[in-house]
Amino acid sequence: MVLGQSEYFKRDLMTPSERLSAYHRGEPVDRLPCVPIVGNTAARVVGTKVSQFRGNGKLLAHAHIEAYRLFQYDIIRIFTDLYTQAEAMGATVHYPEDETAYLEKPALASHGELDQLQPADPYRDGNLPHHLEAMKIAVDKVGKEVTVTGALTCPFTNASFLVGAEQLVRLMLRNPEAVHRLCEISLETNLRYAKAIIDAGCTPSLTDAMSSCTVISPRQFQEFSYPYLKRLIDYIHSRGKSVTLHICGKTNRIWDRMVEAGADCISIDNDADLLEAKEKVGCQVRLMGNVKPSEVMLQGTGDDVRAAVLDCLSKAYDNPKGYIVASGCSLPTETPFRNIHAMLDTVRKVGYPVDPEKLERLSAG
Amino acid sequence: MSELKAKLFQDLSDAVVDMDEEKTVETSHRVIDEGIDAYEAIEKGLAHGMDRVGELFDQEEYFIPEVLICSDAMYAGVEVLKPHLKGDEQGEKKKVVIGVIEGDTHDIGKNLVKIMLETSGFDVFDLGRDIPPQQFVDKAKEVGAHIIGLSTLMTTTMDGMREVVRILEETNLREQFKVIVGGGPISQSFADKIGADGYAANAADAVRLARKLVS
Repeated sequence: MVLGQSEYFKRDLMTPSERLSAYHRGEPVDRLPCVPIVGNTAARVVGTKVSQFRGNGKLLAHAHIEAYRLFQYDIIRIFTDLYTQAEAMGATVHYPEDETAYLEKPALASHGELDQLQPADPYRDGNLPHHLEAMKIAVDKVGKEVTVTGALTCPFTNASFLVGAEQLVRLMLRNPEAVHRLCEISLETNLRYAKAIIDAGCTPSLTDAMSSCTVISPRQFQEFSYPYLKRLIDYIHSRGKSVTLHICGKTNRIWDRMVEAGADCISIDNDADLLEAKEKVGCQVRLMGNVKPSEVMLQGTGDDVRAAVLDCLSKAYDNPKGYIVASGCSLPTETPFRNIHAMLDTVRKVGYPVDPEKLERLSAG
Repeated sequence: MSELKAKLFQDLSDAVVDMDEEKTVETSHRVIDEGIDAYEAIEKGLAHGMDRVGELFDQEEYFIPEVLICSDAMYAGVEVLKPHLKGDEQGEKKKVVIGVIEGDTHDIGKNLVKIMLETSGFDVFDLGRDIPPQQFVDKAKEVGAHIIGLSTLMTTTMDGMREVVRILEETNLREQFKVIVGGGPISQSFADKIGADGYAANAADAVRLARKLVS
């Protein structure tokens, strides 16, 4: 297999860990941190089928380590899909041979069966032990040079996989108590899994797709998602780890709550605007985002990627609490390698400190 | 319109907006008892309310939970009124076959589009989720659909959308159906690329698009 190589001659001078900690301290860096959120594209890097990751921590680790080595991005995230904890609690996940898994059946047919639910044991249930193994291996092999994180699906979103998204949102209005119980038990699983992730030497990376204003209202976020999210983040902080929180879709009306919940960095989708985020919460939180994963990274050309990265940079490079160039969400599996290289190369070319005039010059072609 | 009739229609509309299922059912019974036309009550009462819900959704006053509960209230009223519809007065409704492409089970978006299309007078055939491309074509042929609506949230299933268009072309059926696409990873440029007839960014857009395509 021939791997696409970075076209740009300039190589990184710092390791990702050196870069992130220097950037955090406000010291000079060689370039801004950059995280194309690589998911199952890692399978393509090592030439394996996506379904091979199931039950195979060694392969999952190998793929993510090699993807990191190929692209040289700044954070590794061990991830296959959003359903690992729900699966460990009884949800049925369908594994196509070579595509990202999806939810086939929620854990419960109806909320009447709520009493049957148990929080998952991360060392025993579903694929969680294999994911933990992958995290451990990755930390052992490259943990000195790069932050290794493990994907964790947050309480409200995980709850949606326990009874089904549509039933969950109906319950919010018809039986709020049931939603709270589902979130509580999801949180218990989350806390156990977060503990196991941190014990493995890794950092949880939080995703909360359903908490988006594309789905629920800011008021509903406050009532059903925020309290559990906050307790989860408090725990992670108590273990000395910082927290990156990704919520998909529209989020501008809950950014302040995401910050209040304790997020140190918020990762925003392309349905949200970086400039607006900088103005509203940039003094309190680091921003990450938001090159379009599908339209630009999957379907666009290298030039499209460069233009999109420069656009993001021009909006957020001077965010008071810092900025990480990233895709708006996990990259589709078939994202061309050249586009991932193009993202990193653009950030290298821009260099540091970011010069707005240079950005304009590069944007003009 | 008599005062009573106007009031009952307004009550139906309000009950939908207020997510009051009991009231839509009760008021619908009242409509029948008063000998008021069931079709008109759906159009000017329940569907009217759902239109307002759509506006509130557009304005980000209502979100998906509210829209679903409002639609529950609307459908509960429709159930009461339906047996009293006279066969010929609904006219020839435009038909839409809709579903989530194989490889994906996210269907809230699709369900919203279905609700909004039904409220706007389309006859919607909902295939559900995780549906193979061929099945869309088969169903569209079977019911004589005007539009095929394809939804997905996952990029892995985008090829399935392309496949639907390809099957239509291969079987010389492309001109018979309008194909519309939507969902998280979909964009106008993708719709253009696969040769779809249109892209809708949200449920309200989907209704506007569908209306435009069949007018």
